[in-house]
Amino acid sequence: MSEIWLIIFRIAFILIFILALIPVLVLLERKISAFIQDRPGPNRANIAGIRLGGLVQALADALKLAIKEDFTPAAIRSKALFTIAPMVLFLMSTLTIAVIPFSEYFTIDGVKHLMQAIPFDGGMLWYLGFASLSIYGIMLAGWSSNNKYSLLGSLRAASGAISYEIPLGLAVVSMIITYNSISLNDFVIAQQGSFLGLPSWGIFIQPLAAIIFIICAFAETNRAPFDLAEGESEIVAGYHLEYSAMSFAMFFMAEYIAMTAMSALIVTIFFGGYSLPYLSQASLAANYEIVLLSIAGVATIFGLLFIWWVSKNNVTRYKINKDHRKKENIIYYALTIVIVAIIDIISLYFYGNLGEFGAEIVATAVNLIVFALKTFIVLLVFIWVRWTLPRFRYDQIQRLGWEKLMPLAILNIIITALVVVYGN
Amino acid sequence: MAIKIKKIERKKMPFLERIYIFYIIAGMARTFKHFIRNLLNTKNIEFLEYPEQKPEDISPRYRGLHRLTKYDNGELKCVACDMCATACPAKCIFIEACEVPNSKEKAPKVFNIDLLECVFCGLCVEACPKDAIRMDSGIFTKVEGSKDSFISDINELSSRKRGEF
Repeated sequence: MSEIWLIIFRIAFILIFILALIPVLVLLERKISAFIQDRPGPNRANIAGIRLGGLVQALADALKLAIKEDFTPAAIRSKALFTIAPMVLFLMSTLTIAVIPFSEYFTIDGVKHLMQAIPFDGGMLWYLGFASLSIYGIMLAGWSSNNKYSLLGSLRAASGAISYEIPLGLAVVSMIITYNSISLNDFVIAQQGSFLGLPSWGIFIQPLAAIIFIICAFAETNRAPFDLAEGESEIVAGYHLEYSAMSFAMFFMAEYIAMTAMSALIVTIFFGGYSLPYLSQASLAANYEIVLLSIAGVATIFGLLFIWWVSKNNVTRYKINKDHRKKENIIYYALTIVIVAIIDIISLYFYGNLGEFGAEIVATAVNLIVFALKTFIVLLVFIWVRWTLPRFRYDQIQRLGWEKLMPLAILNIIITALVVVYGN
Repeated sequence: MAIKIKKIERKKMPFLERIYIFYIIAGMARTFKHFIRNLLNTKNIEFLEYPEQKPEDISPRYRGLHRLTKYDNGELKCVACDMCATACPAKCIFIEACEVPNSKEKAPKVFNIDLLECVFCGLCVEACPKDAIRMDSGIFTKVEGSKDSFISDINELSSRKRGEF
């Protein structure tokens, strides 16, 4: 019975993780783009004067999309396909993250559990399979819209996905040869040692495969500079031209979910997954008191940094009689102090009186936090690249995929295979 | 006349530029510098918090909302000649004239400008023979809740001052 509850817990955890990230990512996309382009970004929408740094704007956008009329044009080819296209894309993007391990094995009643929504050893194959299926959502949307621009957008997206799937798969093959497994958890375990003084992460062992994989990851998730499917100047909007309201929003939610899943995969393959460099699960559990102390310390430092940042930056820049931001800042300070205090009290309460099982749970929690942070950093890179590089032209993308990346990936496989067979 | 042909020799890109990756990293470093500078101190971002702060560097030639000018004795200069309404490409000016006793000239009874139609081209100002309509009010936005409130009537137009925000 507890088995089923654990499975439900794992699925719910990972679903909540990716769904809660969507509004945060929307906000971050807007804020980071604003800061890169020297403008302030969303800062007006508020609930009783509380802006949450612009998060209320994301909520307002979501509410707007939810209550808008979902208009279906009369000219579409097939109502059924038109309706399920965003769902297909959404479902496939969500399923890809199901095999990513979020933490090391933890033992309950002698049974080992892995923090993975679907316990499946062929994780890499599952991921590649569903990532390529997700392009069907875009193709169905473009075809059923019965609109030349939509069709062109989906064709461009499909051709881009095909040409980048191959170098992506080949880059993964060289990593599979290196790690000698297709289970994503084995990938992480293989990265826990050290290599020439550096942590033995995939990016240090196989830098070429890492570069190829990350470039293809941008194309695979339809993000700039490879967002062929969109293109306001060439094809009006692309495959989602005829969609409105929530079905339109689902395409973007799917994009953010695919981005999260891809970031999680990049972290798992190339950045050591959930593990901290030089530290294994066992050593974390053995020294759980130090871990608890450092959690409390890091939380306090971050709380103080946040308070300093808010007091310096969240200020009104013009003369006003009733300054709402001062009231807002007091609420932020109070919330920060309460959250930090809760984390500190919990950490210090468990200090020194945890059994073996409790120590393991602490280590698992640390793994979850580390994995979430690493994923978040890669997501920031995704957004940062989007606001740095312009969109590539269609023929440039094709040439890069077929003529540059694919031979490089094959070369990388040959070198890897030679090193693995004759090197050891 | 012979066609002049100028041949531009394309220089071959150096190797570092052709493999892109280092220049992409350089570009990302540039944007990251902006990001960090603005994140650490948002006062580095120059912007106006618009409804509370107003721009102060608007040129006097800027076309704001219309106003009707008056003589020193408080009488409107407008003689309801309909020149502005004729010149208006958007057909947004509606004038009804009435006679002024003991005078050869007319005066406007109704002078409505539909600001939702107006394209702010300034042709009405050019067309006016009496210099009665101007667009130097300095008001550059009008925020209202209903469509009716975007029709400026004669009282509103004549009570505006020059350069008031």
